[in-house]
Amino acid sequence: MADQADSAGATDTAGVAQAPPPTQALPPAVRVEGLWKRFGEQVAVAGIDLELPAGRFIGLVGPNGAGKTTTLSMVTGLLRPDMGRIEVAGHDVWRDPVEVKSRIGVLPEGLRLFERLSGRELLGYTGRLRGLPGAEADRRATQLLDVLDLAGAQHKLVVDYSTGMRKKIGLASALLHNPEVLFLDEPFEGVDPVSAQTIRGVLERYTRSGATVVFSSHVMELVESLCDWVAVMAAGRIRAQGTLAEVRGEAASLQDAFLELVGAGVRDTGESLDWLGGAR
Amino acid sequence: MTVLDAPADTAVPAVRGQRLVPVLVGLKLTLLRNGLRLSSGRRAAYVASLVVTLLLAAVQAIGLVALRGHPQAGTLVVLLTAVVAVGWAVMPLFFPSGDETLDPSRLVMLPLRPRPLIGALLAASLIGIGPLFTLTLALGSVIALAHGAAAVAFGVIAVPLTLLVCVALARSVATANIRLLTSRRGRDLAVLSGLVIAVGIQFVNFGVQRLGRAGGMSSLEPVADVVRWLPPASALGAVGSASEGSYGAALGQLLLSVLALGGLVWLWERSLVKLMTAPDGSTVAAAEPSAGRPGADRSGLFSLLPEGRTATVMQRSLRYVVRDPKTKAAWVTALAVGLIVPVLNAVQGSGSVYFACFAAGMLGMQMYNQFGQDTSAFWMVALSVSSTRDAYVELRARALALLLITLPYTVLVTVVTAALLGDWAALPGVMGLSFALLGAMLATGAVASALFPYSIPQDGAFKNVVPGQAGLAWISILGGMVAAAVLSGPVIGLAVWLHVADHQNLLWLLLPVGAVYGTFIGWLGVRLAAPRTADRLPEILAAVSKG
Repeated sequence: MADQADSAGATDTAGVAQAPPPTQALPPAVRVEGLWKRFGEQVAVAGIDLELPAGRFIGLVGPNGAGKTTTLSMVTGLLRPDMGRIEVAGHDVWRDPVEVKSRIGVLPEGLRLFERLSGRELLGYTGRLRGLPGAEADRRATQLLDVLDLAGAQHKLVVDYSTGMRKKIGLASALLHNPEVLFLDEPFEGVDPVSAQTIRGVLERYTRSGATVVFSSHVMELVESLCDWVAVMAAGRIRAQGTLAEVRGEAASLQDAFLELVGAGVRDTGESLDWLGGAR
Repeated sequence: MTVLDAPADTAVPAVRGQRLVPVLVGLKLTLLRNGLRLSSGRRAAYVASLVVTLLLAAVQAIGLVALRGHPQAGTLVVLLTAVVAVGWAVMPLFFPSGDETLDPSRLVMLPLRPRPLIGALLAASLIGIGPLFTLTLALGSVIALAHGAAAVAFGVIAVPLTLLVCVALARSVATANIRLLTSRRGRDLAVLSGLVIAVGIQFVNFGVQRLGRAGGMSSLEPVADVVRWLPPASALGAVGSASEGSYGAALGQLLLSVLALGGLVWLWERSLVKLMTAPDGSTVAAAEPSAGRPGADRSGLFSLLPEGRTATVMQRSLRYVVRDPKTKAAWVTALAVGLIVPVLNAVQGSGSVYFACFAAGMLGMQMYNQFGQDTSAFWMVALSVSSTRDAYVELRARALALLLITLPYTVLVTVVTAALLGDWAALPGVMGLSFALLGAMLATGAVASALFPYSIPQDGAFKNVVPGQAGLAWISILGGMVAAAVLSGPVIGLAVWLHVADHQNLLWLLLPVGAVYGTFIGWLGVRLAAPRTADRLPEILAAVSKG
């Protein structure tokens, strides 16, 4: 499957034209080889190989429980794999954390933030931990709060933020140190359309600069409209990866191609629900 | 409009009260069983608490039966019942999510009318460890008090009445407070209320000691004479009155309890209807904080610190001491207990200046499970720690934040204790010992934070460990304390030797020795913990994310 990535540049017909074609000299944003993770009896990630080109807007799609979060956690160094090799921007995540951690930004799903800080304090804290000089961290925080429409709530504690606001402040923390690769786990989950549009705008602008965004989602329409490169996961394995056009293939939409790939065709409910909608 | 307003005779048959009771009782039993099936740790905890409660209940019942005929049995019984009733009233404030069948917001979409629902909820509430304990108390009390057929008759009514009043009390308090408890500020308050208990226990402890000296139960009789007329104790008071032949008083007392039960059920029903027909309070936005709050711009003392990780981490830690209810509760408890124990002992003239070391010990405990205090937000730390050096600076900053409060406080407690006892000669020695102990606690705390992290649940005042990690928490704290005692051994040894060898005039030596030794050992601990932290980041994150 890895060779699909090499052909990605040539067959790129879909989506964002501004994305610079990856050159052979640039190492892939993420390279994963033989990655395994098992929780007790359950195999969450079953030996995946993945090569995500740099400078793209990449969607990692799959049904719930496919192993997307587990994979992203291992790639970002938050979860130790049982087996396998992970490189981000050409550096081994587990052997060379200094190089990797300064190059990545992460918005995990299901993990808390330091919620007893206000939005502005959280950004100040994150920026300084990331080694930015205080004045620079505060300057960037002000701009991010403005762009993400959080300026009005900047002095409110994050614990009182809504889901959409949390995602936005999380995104701001992930972007603050201008990472090369941004990993977002379900960044649009529970986000209202207005906030989603804001997040989208920021991300599109960020990838235009040549940075890579890897985000997971199970909303196909979103992935189809945002991404130029897609990896499909199901049951702990990669079912397909490549440009949007390659993965979509002959199917009418990514949704159809996805259902085909994960083996979930339209089920005929037949007679079993015949009372539903009948006489009351 | 909600289902509560729906006409009773719709096409969908509304569940009638009689059928609702077995449904809810069954639901409660199923939830209990499933909850226990979830993890063996929870099962063990439940069985253990059941056994302990049964033992306690048995001892209590035997004690009460043995008291039969004792002149002060009545006093004891009504006071015990009152204490248990107060427990029932406060319990739901601390364990708001303790009982799922009784969470009315989960039943809001079902076609249920309030009256039958109340009856069924009350019946379901009678299942559990608490009601069992209360039942044995009431039974034992009646056996202790009832003399004569009339008294027994009163007893037969009093036992279920006491139990029902207790349960209805808990339910009405819980339901009335659900709106508060589902808002963030309300939950913060509930978490903080834990320290009221923790500090209160200290005072009760000293109160009981006082009582023991002042002539025992008879000094409580005036209180008991009032409590005898307060429900639910009045139901048992009625049994006592009936035994003494004052049937009028007995009837009055019993009536009071019945009225109380009616009143509580009425209150409960009212707030339940309100709760199920009005919008949920949890989605109401919290009030805007005052605009004057300083932002990330470093203000005050923090501007004095050099830029970089140390100042950033210290500032975050200290903000959490003030803002995070769980951290705040732990700190206030440590500060209060650390002061109360040496000072109250000194006031009573029974203490020694060396008790002041207690403050250092209590405050040093806050270094334990540093990353657990972060909850799963630790990922933000983990992502910014890429070397042993980063981990070292992180841990050192946390220790420094702790010292910023602890050092002056230890000095204060030591000086106050010495002043109260007038034992100024011992002051430098005690202070030196405190510093050594503090350093040792910081050292073992840092190492334990790296090796034995565990999750701190964010809800509930008393849940400080997630089921299944209790062993880890105990190893960490107990082992750490023993290790800290051993580590401060040289200074303790020096203190003992100076006393034994009659070199009291050299006790001041302990101050510089303790300070230097404490600093060294603290530094060494952080130094040792740093590589272990840097190596175990994913494992620590997994361990602290279970809350």
